[in-house]
Amino acid sequence: MNWERIGDLIRLRYQLMWAKTRSRNGKIALFIIGYLLFVMVAVLVALGGVGAGIAAIRTGRAERIAQVVLSGLFINAVMATILLGFGMSAVFSEAELLRYPLHERERFVARHFLGIADPFWILVLLVELGLVFGMYVLGACSLGYGTGAALLLFVCGYLFARAIGAWIDGLMATRSGSGVVLLLIFSISILPRIMLAALQKNPAARKQVLDALRFTPPFGAAAAMTHTGGTAFAGLGLIVLWSIGLALFLVWLERRPATAPRQQAIRGVVAGKADFFDRLGRLFPPDIAPLVSHWLHFFVRNKRFRMLYLFSFPLAAFLTWNLGQLPKGHGDLFVAALGTLPMVTFIGTSRIAVNLYGYMGDAFRRYFLFPTDPAASLRAGSYASVLLGGFALLPGAIVWAIFAPSPLDFGVIVMPVINGLTVLFLFNSAGLWTTLFGPRRGKYDRSLGNDMSLLGNIVVIGSALTCLLTPQILRRVAPDLVSRDNWWMLLPAAFAIMVYVASLRAAGALFTGRRERLLAVVEGKA
Amino acid sequence: MTPQADAIRITNLVKRYGNSLAVEKLSLSVPRGSMFGFLGPNGSGKSTTIGCLTGLLDPTSGTVEILGSRFTTESADLKRRMGVMPETLGLFDPLYAHEFLTFVARMYGLQEPEVQQRVKELLAALELTDSGKTLAEYSTGMRKRVSFAAAVIHSPEVLFLDEPFESIDPAGVALLKQWLRRFTERGRTVFITSHVLETVERLCDRVAIITKPGKLVWQGDITVLARDGTVQFDGREFDSLEELFLHLTGQKYDDLKWL
Repeated sequence: MNWERIGDLIRLRYQLMWAKTRSRNGKIALFIIGYLLFVMVAVLVALGGVGAGIAAIRTGRAERIAQVVLSGLFINAVMATILLGFGMSAVFSEAELLRYPLHERERFVARHFLGIADPFWILVLLVELGLVFGMYVLGACSLGYGTGAALLLFVCGYLFARAIGAWIDGLMATRSGSGVVLLLIFSISILPRIMLAALQKNPAARKQVLDALRFTPPFGAAAAMTHTGGTAFAGLGLIVLWSIGLALFLVWLERRPATAPRQQAIRGVVAGKADFFDRLGRLFPPDIAPLVSHWLHFFVRNKRFRMLYLFSFPLAAFLTWNLGQLPKGHGDLFVAALGTLPMVTFIGTSRIAVNLYGYMGDAFRRYFLFPTDPAASLRAGSYASVLLGGFALLPGAIVWAIFAPSPLDFGVIVMPVINGLTVLFLFNSAGLWTTLFGPRRGKYDRSLGNDMSLLGNIVVIGSALTCLLTPQILRRVAPDLVSRDNWWMLLPAAFAIMVYVASLRAAGALFTGRRERLLAVVEGKA
Repeated sequence: MTPQADAIRITNLVKRYGNSLAVEKLSLSVPRGSMFGFLGPNGSGKSTTIGCLTGLLDPTSGTVEILGSRFTTESADLKRRMGVMPETLGLFDPLYAHEFLTFVARMYGLQEPEVQQRVKELLAALELTDSGKTLAEYSTGMRKRVSFAAAVIHSPEVLFLDEPFESIDPAGVALLKQWLRRFTERGRTVFITSHVLETVERLCDRVAIITKPGKLVWQGDITVLARDGTVQFDGREFDSLEELFLHLTGQKYDDLKWL
């Protein structure tokens, strides 16, 4: 095994991470991320790890608390890796590593060493070691068994995340992949809550589930941390077995022949015939019509857009139902819908809307060659986002009308839609500015992971939280504002449209001046 | 504007990126109907100059005139008369070739029946009828053909081609050369950058050579090479464009004794 070259590659990975800080945006991002990481490490190690360890001893339920903490950490780390793409750097994909003098086995090891050396996974390890340390200080854990269990669980968790990620990648390459992944995400989102409710009512089933969980890696690690002798060895052995199994599964997944590119999309596409999006584009003035049609195609051909667009409906329904069932009389379906229905207007389009050119690559320069105002492409991209987001309101409103609480009246249906328009235009206004001032080069075909810029994340996550929290807060501080008869809700909608129009003009005027910067980012030169 | 005016005239063009100078007071003119080769070593500022000539970049100072009119990023009317094949090709990968060409043709204001006719003809002529693949799935050579098709679909009067011959198979290069010759015979102008000096020598009638940072070191009539067998510069005779280029750009491959 060529450990020297593998070490060089890990060094290169950190050099590349460090290189990103050479730009002004990179420095800002580094500062914020560094600060957040510092706070997170401090809080997590102190509370999540050491704190949990101390709590475990004091309550006399060391193993149970270790099981809960380690399971939570394991699931969160796996989910974050799959959804946010931690430790999956494309720079070190198999295809990229082929250029180095490494054998197949060395490339496999190199890729996964590079993945596990991700700062996120190091943080996970720190928290696990924090738990071990907390319990060791209070005499409930052997430092040797505990550290061994933490290290093995760390490796096992990483392998688990990569295996699931590779499996999903394979799934997404199939025709029905998006639908299956959508169903899986939705199930994972709602199943724990449903299962917890069911298990609370059925102690026998709860015991069976707990017995079954004893064979999972976090429970194995908890056993190794809180026992000695045979039980600790059994716990460690369990994690080793899981790790070997996952590594073999991962090797098998990676060696599977790649699925042939999907060809069926071309069926029905006939050269020369205008499709639905071409016709939709023609609703706009002739100088911008082809651009709007082009952007609509660009959105709908994106796998992630399709997945999130469809996902936004069950997600909105789930959130409405959950927020509507809040205990102590805090739940109100109508108030919940005021925030959740508008979310469907941006969840699907969000990734591209806040980074319109980030997935263009060198095609971005084409917009400057056309005999139009270069900013027309910015406006057209935003119109496409507004059209697609606006379309989502219609099925959303129909589903809401079916399940809305009685007495059903006009206000119950229309108010969330009006709010939806407010959010649609405000979000897309923010999207224009983020496109100009927070661009980031991303991969159009990537199905998973968070490839938005810091500003993009702030806009998208901030919009979602604002949608969820604002109606709930208003219900407590000014209930009249969230009543079904409050037609003043039209005012924010009108204001949002004005903001959008003003943003289109102002961002359009700035666009040409920002193009060299944008070009450098989207072509990967900055 | 007279019919004899230069197709392209660059006067004292300067382009800076921060403190770094990419093009230094470049002045040159390209006669109408000529096949003009714009040469220089890597990083000498060729693509930056083309960027300034096609509206992608704003010059720091200096002027660019195309077809007798001052050219800026906002010159939509002039852009309608220009065709550009960027070095990076500028393709929208998720699209099929016919969709991309249809989009480009519409952007140049072609009427719908003409759009469809030209797209079909170009796809057939450039052998791009493998419609089951998106542009992302095309080979580099095929992508280059699509980008070339996009550059000529609206019958431009001035054509900018940044490295057009690299990665195209010999048959494709031959076809391209034939088209370009026909293009200039009809009084249109071609501005080419390329590292394939033999092709430039055979194809172009005028050549400009720049060195870092975008500094013009030679421009002249290259047809003398075909006519007289040599071109003169600095009191020396050069048998080929390659010899002249290496002399002017100071390439020091001979210094690498270990190679």
